[in-house]
Amino acid sequence: MAIIEIKGLEKTYQVYQKKEGLRSSLRGLFSREYKQVKAVQGIDLQIEQGEFVAFLGPNGAGKTTTLKLLSGVIHPTSGTATVLGYTPWQRDNEYRRRFALVMGNKNQLWWDLPAQESFRLHQQIYRIEADVFQNTLDELTDLLDLQDLLQQPVRELSLGERMKMELTAALLHSPEVLFLDEPTIGLDVVAQHNIQQFLKYYQQKRKITILLTSHYMKDVAALCKRVVIIADGLIKYDGSLEGIIKSTDQRKLITLQFRDAIDDSLLAALKKFGNVTDVETPRIKLTVTRDVVPRMLSTILDGYQVDDVVVEDPPLEDVIATVFSEVTAGRVQQIDDDEFESIGDGQGL
Amino acid sequence: MSWAIMNVGFYIIIFQFTNEIGAQTGWGKYEFFVFLATTWIINSIIQTFFMPNAQEFSELIRTGNFDFALLKPIDTQFIISFPRIDWSSLSTCMMGIGLLSYSLYQLMVVADVPLVLAWPVLFLYPLYLVCGVAIMYSVMISLAATSVWFGRNQTLYNFWFYLTNFSRYPMEIYKTGWGMGLWIAFTFFIPVLLVVNIPARFLARPLDGMTSADWQLAAFALCASIGSLFVSRRIFKRALRSYRSASS
Repeated sequence: MAIIEIKGLEKTYQVYQKKEGLRSSLRGLFSREYKQVKAVQGIDLQIEQGEFVAFLGPNGAGKTTTLKLLSGVIHPTSGTATVLGYTPWQRDNEYRRRFALVMGNKNQLWWDLPAQESFRLHQQIYRIEADVFQNTLDELTDLLDLQDLLQQPVRELSLGERMKMELTAALLHSPEVLFLDEPTIGLDVVAQHNIQQFLKYYQQKRKITILLTSHYMKDVAALCKRVVIIADGLIKYDGSLEGIIKSTDQRKLITLQFRDAIDDSLLAALKKFGNVTDVETPRIKLTVTRDVVPRMLSTILDGYQVDDVVVEDPPLEDVIATVFSEVTAGRVQQIDDDEFESIGDGQGL
Repeated sequence: MSWAIMNVGFYIIIFQFTNEIGAQTGWGKYEFFVFLATTWIINSIIQTFFMPNAQEFSELIRTGNFDFALLKPIDTQFIISFPRIDWSSLSTCMMGIGLLSYSLYQLMVVADVPLVLAWPVLFLYPLYLVCGVAIMYSVMISLAATSVWFGRNQTLYNFWFYLTNFSRYPMEIYKTGWGMGLWIAFTFFIPVLLVVNIPARFLARPLDGMTSADWQLAAFALCASIGSLFVSRRIFKRALRSYRSASS
């Protein structure tokens, strides 16, 4: 049975439309104009125990709203969802003891107190046995290298240290399901890497179920086998990361290092195969479709002296940006579970 | 401290011109100072334990940080009602106890007809202090919970001040003319008039002078405090259902 099961989940917000000017403000006291914003429009999703799933989408796609619905923070407009067999928005204490939500842009720790104090409060609220609490805290602080920071007021920690503390607080009660909403937002590459490594290790060790939203594709590539893309409140893709790259991006980036300077005839020849993006003679970069690569390389290597060739996939961020723009434009159709495998083979889209 | 001294000074000036607030209401100078002291004690308890948390609650709703309170496996109303304590506001409580002691001394020892406190008062006064705090807490948490619908409620705290201002004076002053409307509204619908009046009445005046109407009102105050807690709990729960968090 799935740990997380969502059926036809919808959340519509009524948003007040305030026009500028004093007259409009006064009119707003008597008659208000509201807009219906459909943040989540009937999504269906199943997540099995122990999965590490990335929840991707452009800003305003409905990712965070879905996490808040699954955490019971907000009530849905319609639809059903169960997590660990509980309906989240009934806010059952038993359920709240078994999951955690970490939001990268919000703090739950007391700002002016050392994190240790907040951890103690967590221990009481979650009714964690003293020895279990101490063991868990020791393990987490050891893994995240926080031993020397526990007595320091939270406001004096760096962003990366604070996020580690937030993760520690969230994991103290050993949740079975973890919702991570952009946990590496604003962190430098080292801090991002540390958090990724920790999450990877912790998930594999504890076999917990994690649903992650992130705009950093490195997080996704490092941690998640399964990717769910949401746009305009609808699930547009559900499959592997490789699958979506193959399915939606047919490009390759090619860098050629010639022995001699690049002349006009060579440039014209290269332009026949693809889009030249950068020329720093004798080096040139171009983007070509996958099927053109063998023919192009054969032609160029036969006719010119080439010192070095690099063929690579486009950066993941570019691929996902393309996917987001396509799904937003409606070119990628909603995909049901039956097509899941075919997407992975690059045939679904 | 200075505010309290000015407050007492103001009423001392008034009592230079009159012996009691309203003819035959029973609220003479020291009876009224018992009333004033009771007001201070109740207000200081509210300001020490509940006011900072209610203000914080509104801010949590506005910023979306209320999300974290909803995640905790503990009663949400409890967790937002008690996290902060403003100990400095307890000084008003100390002054209230001082003023109360002095006024009782005047009434029980110095007065021509000394007041005799019946023993049930020792139980009734603290009981109705608790009832008063419960009513005030209920009004405060209900007002704070409306932040869920209004987003920001700075003016609601002004509203809280105006509303509770009615509780600062003996209810007899409202029982005439158009004041009757206020007396009915703030006794039976938003029962802030009962908050100070009932406990102060028990302490400042002889128990055997209580009329059946006084006893009925005291019984109603007990019900009103339980009812207020119940209604505020319903409002709070309704607010939780409507909570929409804030964009991240």
